Amino acid sequence: MTILDGKPKEQYQVKAINTEETITRRLEALGINEGTVLTLMNRKRNGAFIIKVRGTRWAIGKDIAKGILVEPAGGRNEE
Amino acid sequence: MKSIHVGFAGNPNCGKTTLFNAYTGANLKVANWPGVTVEKKEGETVYKGQPLKLVDLPGIYSLTSYSIEEKVTRRCIMEDDIDVIVNVVDASALERNLYLTLQLLELGKPVILALNMMDIVEERGMEIDLHRLPEMLGSIPVVPVSARKRTGLDVLMHAVVHHYEEQHSPHVVQYSENLEEKITILEEALRRKNPGIANTRWYAIKLLERDEEISKEYPLNLPEVLDRSYEKDIINQKYTYIEEIIEETLFYKEEKGAFTDKVDEVLTHPVWGMPIFFCVMAAVFFLTFAVGDFLKGYFEIALDWFSGAVSGLLTSLSVADWLISLVVDGIIAGVGGILTFLPNIFILFLALAILEDSGYMARVAYVMDSLMGKLGLSGKAFLPMVLGFGCTVPAVMATRALEKEKDRKRAILITPFMSCSARLPIYVLFADMFFGNYAMVAAFSMYVIGLLVAILVAFLLRLHDKKKENGTLLIELPEYKTPNGRTIAVYVWEKIKDYLTKAGTTIFVASIVIWFLLNFGMQGMVADVSDSFGAVIGHWLVPVLAPAGLGLWQVGVALISGISAKEVVVTSFAVLFGISNPNSAEGMASLTSQLGVYGFGALNAYCLMLFCLLYTPCAATIGTIKKETGSLLFTLKTIVFQLLVAWCAATIVFQIGSLF
Repeated sequence: MTILDGKPKEQYQVKAINTEETITRRLEALGINEGTVLTLMNRKRNGAFIIKVRGTRWAIGKDIAKGILVEPAGGRNEE
Repeated sequence: MKSIHVGFAGNPNCGKTTLFNAYTGANLKVANWPGVTVEKKEGETVYKGQPLKLVDLPGIYSLTSYSIEEKVTRRCIMEDDIDVIVNVVDASALERNLYLTLQLLELGKPVILALNMMDIVEERGMEIDLHRLPEMLGSIPVVPVSARKRTGLDVLMHAVVHHYEEQHSPHVVQYSENLEEKITILEEALRRKNPGIANTRWYAIKLLERDEEISKEYPLNLPEVLDRSYEKDIINQKYTYIEEIIEETLFYKEEKGAFTDKVDEVLTHPVWGMPIFFCVMAAVFFLTFAVGDFLKGYFEIALDWFSGAVSGLLTSLSVADWLISLVVDGIIAGVGGILTFLPNIFILFLALAILEDSGYMARVAYVMDSLMGKLGLSGKAFLPMVLGFGCTVPAVMATRALEKEKDRKRAILITPFMSCSARLPIYVLFADMFFGNYAMVAAFSMYVIGLLVAILVAFLLRLHDKKKENGTLLIELPEYKTPNGRTIAVYVWEKIKDYLTKAGTTIFVASIVIWFLLNFGMQGMVADVSDSFGAVIGHWLVPVLAPAGLGLWQVGVALISGISAKEVVVTSFAVLFGISNPNSAEGMASLTSQLGVYGFGALNAYCLMLFCLLYTPCAATIGTIKKETGSLLFTLKTIVFQLLVAWCAATIVFQIGSLF
């Protein structure tokens, strides 16, 4: 699954990042790497997503979100 | 004594600029970095007799060479402009901030860690081990500060003065065996080939990352070592080390307050987010108009008094009539007229500064993303558009936040349609004159129309564009916080200073030029303005502007002069119709009746406002567009396109309006 299929307030672990090369590097530099646990904070129907990673909130567009492969990490918004 | 050059580096939103301002106050030199339009701020301070030169480096998340800001920071530090790096870190987001810290440490320069926002750390029930943290970072000084409460400032400068000569080992992060082996081989090769390099480890790491700049400058022919890009491995291993640091130094004493999450549930709500944003913008404009106009009244009284006093003084000194005319009708009417709008401008920038500093501005990008996505732009492109309400020049510069060239050009093309504060004086004047109680509605409609035109243009470009790729949104949403008075004061003062400088230079010169064009003609100084050079130019434009309801030669002159700066349109009207203060009740009455003689009524006034909203941006904007895009052709196209849009819109409104 990708973040697109995620539910708000749930935690997910990043399995792979499958976006444009420069975007992937940028995400990695921001601490969104394989194995990182992120919380999906908020989402808009057909729109952008807010995720929380390493204590920081990021707004990411749909086209990036669909490239972040995740699986449920269990546990709710605890960080 | 030689001054120490201190570079302030840190992530965006870490309080770096607030800390920088705490040392320098508003007393700084703002210029652009050479070759690029990234702002460079420099200030000076003295600590116990030691002069210090402080440089505010751009806010960045990492030291790669993907963005202009990153390149600028790297070059500035590497080329020995900086003696010591103060790495400002948001202690409440330590994990993310430490990534840049590890990269800065690898540069080999003296680094001092300024742990900012320690008060928030405490508030959230977190604790940081201040003994273990420096140990894990190669024993660099770590100083807790609060930029907002101004604590720890002296200790930080003390550390700078006493540690700036201490080179520390850039060997903080130990990479995997495989990588370390490669680094050793590369360091060896680099030392042989470029004996001048001080910190070979950094260059070796950059070569392994296949960094564009370094690979070009220091190419090594070692295909078996540099067999692929190891950037991903290097990033991941840095984060592994950061996780270790966090585990050993950061403790949660209790569950942290989720204030930001609660606020975000409302402000970024899927349904309510957008209406709330529009209400916020409406409130900003209400304040700008209603409160601003109230204060403006006092400015006008002062200006009237000043104008009368100067006129009286010059007459009593028997100064030549033409000189009195130049000073009173030209300069005082021109420059003074613009100064009376200072309260409106002040309130607008104050509001924008508060929205920015509180953390709300970043949410706008998220809230607007789905709408912007339909236009083929990322939500990020909305920020330059909002800034465009303040001034088009920084707004065009802000489009650099967009990664793709095509996105940037599209954003640059539509940003000037956002009504900037310089156009406000025009609306205020004409709306007050012709729309009475509905003045505010008429003026506000300009902002809405500007926004709609921008959206329409973006939409049409999107239809025209075959590829239909979306812009990408990737933006940090900082914690909400109470805006900092000092940061806001410095921001607003910078903008006001710009405005005053413009009034003192561009508008001063424009006032004199306009005065000359209107008071001189083929026969020298003319008594009747209709014999002047200005009238000749204006008459040429009458046939073109007539379909748009603007067929007065005075309007033509005003619009041309408005290209120097949009406010000048107001100045020109004042000078053209011989009104010392167009904002006073008498001034407006006189202008309305004079215009009425030509049959220039409310519909014409509305078309004029519309034309001013949409036509060619001011000279400063044109210059910025040229500089940002590096393309004269694109700049010229923008100018022609906007003229056409303005003419078409005004013509349509006038022709349809005339039917009723």
